Amino acid sequence: MIDSSNLFYEDVDLGDEIGPIQRIVTHENVLDFISIREKTPKPSRFTSKDVAVKEGLDAAIVPGVMNIAMMSQLITSWTPNVRLKKIDVVFRQTVPHNTILILKGIITEKVDDPSTAEIGCDITMETESGVKMIIGNAILALPRKF
Amino acid sequence: MTTDEGIKYDRSLLGKSHNIGTIKVTKEMIIKFSRSTGETNEIHLGNEGTQQTVIAPPTMCNMFVTGASRPDIKLDFGDINLFAGQSIECKSDIKPGDVLEGKTQLESVYSKTGRSGKMVFSVWLTTFVNQDSKEVAIVTESYVRRNKR
Repeated sequence: MIDSSNLFYEDVDLGDEIGPIQRIVTHENVLDFISIREKTPKPSRFTSKDVAVKEGLDAAIVPGVMNIAMMSQLITSWTPNVRLKKIDVVFRQTVPHNTILILKGIITEKVDDPSTAEIGCDITMETESGVKMIIGNAILALPRKF
Repeated sequence: MTTDEGIKYDRSLLGKSHNIGTIKVTKEMIIKFSRSTGETNEIHLGNEGTQQTVIAPPTMCNMFVTGASRPDIKLDFGDINLFAGQSIECKSDIKPGDVLEGKTQLESVYSKTGRSGKMVFSVWLTTFVNQDSKEVAIVTESYVRRNKR
């Protein structure tokens, strides 16, 4: 992993790693999140195991919107200079509450055009045992030195 | 291979734009979103006890997409609906006081058959503009409908 303080486009190479960062989403985090829209969150697949099981799931799950927000934090917390331009994710598995989540990325592309400083990377959210729950990619921009 | 042949749904909705309303973004909303998703950057959380301004994390408009009411496409398949994937193009910062207007449209419906059987995907494209008519985000969402296991 490279030192990520104030990175510039020229500092980054293909294969450089982003993260990993670790997260655990608690039931309370989900309730807080849902309460931004609903003052009193109703039981749902996100907040109630009973509802989740009735819907064919194993347990209450983390909303996709929260997951993608965490995936974007992997990028935005990497270096203060970075700007996230696009993020694209595929949810391969539902994400349960109170589980250790490992988020990481790897640089896969540097756009070879002096008018831009765009970089592409693959990103994943995995369990501790390496099961990929969310995969995707992101396009980000870093300033150039010159 | 993907196809929409044989899928029953309201095809008249394809490509038709629907207003999903306007949302006034508040500082409290940004801070709550940031805290609940584990954000640590002060630019999104603000500095407690100060009047420091905040900007929304880049994916926050997503929350408004999920809360939006969309027309029922009357998809005649499966009994469980899950979020399959999403792409967000972050075009410009969202700040407290911004008034965002969202428009959404059904982009496509298709089926795939995998290890767990047939699944039907519906893809929606939502665009947000702010009070200055500046595009702030484009969100593409994919939902999958399948039968309970």
